[in-house]
Amino acid sequence: MRRELGILCAVVVMCGFLFWSNHDFGKAANILNVSRQAAMLGIFAIGSSFVIITGGIDLSVGAIIGLTGVLIAKISSPSVHCLNHPLWVGISIALGVALLIGLIQGLLISRLKLQPFIVTLAGMLLVRGTAQIITHGGTLGLGTSPLINLSTEGLFHYGYHAVLAYPVLMFIGVIILASYLLHGTVFGRYVFAIGGNRDAAQYSGIPVDRVETLTYVISAGLAGVAGICYASYIGQMTYNVGNGYELNAIAAAVIGGVSLRGGEGSVLGAIIGSIMMEVIQNGIILFKWVYHSAGHREVFRLSSNWTYFITGAVILLAVLIDQLANILNKRKRLKRQAQIAAAKQ
Amino acid sequence: MAEDYILRMRGVTKRFPGVTALENVDLELRSGEVLALMGENGAGKSTLMKILGGAQPPDEGELLIDGKAVEFRNVSDSRRHGIVLVHQELMMASNLDVAGNIFLGSEKSHWGLLNRRAMRSASVALLRRVGLSCSPAMLVGALTPGQMQMVEIAKALSHKARILILDEPTSSLTLTESEQLFKIIGDLKRDGIAIIYISHRMEEVKRLADRVIVLRDGKRVGELEHDQITQNKIVSMMVGRELTNWYPPLRPRADYPPILQVENLIVPGAPCAVSFEAGKGEIVGFAGLVGSGRTELMQAIFGTTPPLGGTLVVDGQAFAPRRPRDAISRGIYLAPEDRKHHGLVLPMSIAQNISMPDIHNYKPRMWLQRGHEQVVAKKQLESLRIKAPGVKHRVGSLSGGNQQKVVLGKWLAMRPKILILDEPTRGVDVGAKAEIYREMMELAQQGITILMVSSEMEEVLGMSDRIVVMRERRMEGILPRDQATQERIAALMTGAGKIDKSIGV
Repeated sequence: MRRELGILCAVVVMCGFLFWSNHDFGKAANILNVSRQAAMLGIFAIGSSFVIITGGIDLSVGAIIGLTGVLIAKISSPSVHCLNHPLWVGISIALGVALLIGLIQGLLISRLKLQPFIVTLAGMLLVRGTAQIITHGGTLGLGTSPLINLSTEGLFHYGYHAVLAYPVLMFIGVIILASYLLHGTVFGRYVFAIGGNRDAAQYSGIPVDRVETLTYVISAGLAGVAGICYASYIGQMTYNVGNGYELNAIAAAVIGGVSLRGGEGSVLGAIIGSIMMEVIQNGIILFKWVYHSAGHREVFRLSSNWTYFITGAVILLAVLIDQLANILNKRKRLKRQAQIAAAKQ
Repeated sequence: MAEDYILRMRGVTKRFPGVTALENVDLELRSGEVLALMGENGAGKSTLMKILGGAQPPDEGELLIDGKAVEFRNVSDSRRHGIVLVHQELMMASNLDVAGNIFLGSEKSHWGLLNRRAMRSASVALLRRVGLSCSPAMLVGALTPGQMQMVEIAKALSHKARILILDEPTSSLTLTESEQLFKIIGDLKRDGIAIIYISHRMEEVKRLADRVIVLRDGKRVGELEHDQITQNKIVSMMVGRELTNWYPPLRPRADYPPILQVENLIVPGAPCAVSFEAGKGEIVGFAGLVGSGRTELMQAIFGTTPPLGGTLVVDGQAFAPRRPRDAISRGIYLAPEDRKHHGLVLPMSIAQNISMPDIHNYKPRMWLQRGHEQVVAKKQLESLRIKAPGVKHRVGSLSGGNQQKVVLGKWLAMRPKILILDEPTRGVDVGAKAEIYREMMELAQQGITILMVSSEMEEVLGMSDRIVVMRERRMEGILPRDQATQERIAALMTGAGKIDKSIGV
């Protein structure tokens, strides 16, 4: 919990600072936008966390997000080149395909002992390639499909805006389910046990292969759910939607204290990490610094070209602080031991 | 009386490529009995217990539980029959709490939802039974090794174990913790649980065991009932081999000028400081059981885990190793115990492995001199008689003995002052062993000091000028070669040093 609390404090401080620098940060429209973005990232970041906690990695997440949207557009959109089936058909097929991709990857990794990095890297390219083939490298519009409203509509209206947009509602649903699954069920316990000590898990009679496979299914399935939201949000599907999002998910998880060594992490951490990522993105746009130079009032703004740089720095800082705390603790313990040993002389 | 055995193993044989780990071994066990299984490292105890625990199938032989033949395909099969093996290297998920580990693999749940409260309250009862007062919600990573051991036993009890196998349970326990364990073993016996107790420690075995079975070289060599158990009988059964003649002839004792002085060195994790000296051209053997702290001491001298205090003097100069490079620059080299992980890069060639620690001397002008690399490697290949098609051959496909020679060659090419050999002949066949011994002797004659860690008693006795005996990460004693006997070393390393005189050394 120490890590989650630390990051939560950092997020709060960041928000306070951004609000101080630019009051627009606190405007309803902005808060609702950031929360929707964080919700969409959070949905698949939680999925990735399952995989990472077992000690694996899933690079195919972003490609699955893209393919889900492309499939829905192809099947259900009334636009030209599209098949104009009912929306539920498109969504069911798209989600089914996502789950199937996760199952195949999971089986390859757990049964054939292929490396997760390689399997999901190949998976990423295959899935992205499929989307590219379906779109012929072009665009598929959702047209007048009712899906368009998913990302903007929601419950409880405030002016023109829905306070709880559907993606946020879905995120809340995912949080509740995933928290139960990871922290409340036998399955979740096995996920942690496999990441903590695979041999001990095997020797305790845990079905390691099955549990590991399921984490990839969960990761791909949640990527599919996120894919539906992004499709609605973007409206025009190209094969490139969701490019690189798998790394955002990993970054969000890691910032939130999920360890790539496995065995460590929480749903709460993935949530806070996702919020952190989106607040950074938003902050870079909104940040301003008013100062007076030679009697003139000047405003300094960050160029959006700083996004990658600052995101990278934040990730590094988060893991750096955590590791420094670990090293200091260990050093203290060893020093105490040495003093005891020396005293026994 | 055969019918009241709850377990019988008959004619168990297990072969691994190149070695027969077990040959026609019988074992029988009554309920409520403590059976001690003894033997040197590599005598086959662990293999026998792995077969009983279902982790490995036997090649031949049968298992009878309550008189009925059974076959174990995996760990759960054996557990279903109430057999639980507590491993020496504890199998715990340190990221989970105590209750989580106790019920790992058999969680209490309702429709897949963990019932934490039920597990915790059940844990409290189990923990009380093993005399552990910590909270079931405590993270296992924060426990001491002794406490972890108790958690493992609690886990075994949660499986309703009828046969409990304890593999060197006290190797990481303090005295008080061991006492606690013995009390629990007494309680379990009274409950009718049969215990197979693997240990090297004489007092423990004498005190706990109803019966002792001794293994040597994969064969059952003897059995003693409780009142027949004496230190003498067990030690002579365990080490009963004659010293074979592949050791080089004894060298006359010389006065070696000191080259390495270790004073009050504090090795991380050790309970107290260590001091010893080694002379130029001397071979110092380090005897002790697995886990007695010999490897850790060598790693401290080599700088892989830097010492936390004390002084090292090499050739009259103070030396504080912070990393292996510091030791290497002083001419101190280490051939590690686990050569496949720490000694060699298996997918690389012999020449590349040999040049690795000294790579800067192979690039006088920016570029690696591959020709020079191969010339140096070829010289080592010839002088060490490494059997390989050539120096470009992959190290990974060589035999154990030849791999060990490559490790030696990599350091010999750099003219060592002090060479640390950790288990130099582990996994090496007899012929290659003799060659490694001869090579060591030659090096010693050239004035190279050798610190040799070995768990093979004969090897220590056959090669060393002096023998340092370690136990539980402390130094128990230093014996010059002419005063060292198998019995005396065995007594020191198992902690029976006090009865030393009664053996009549």
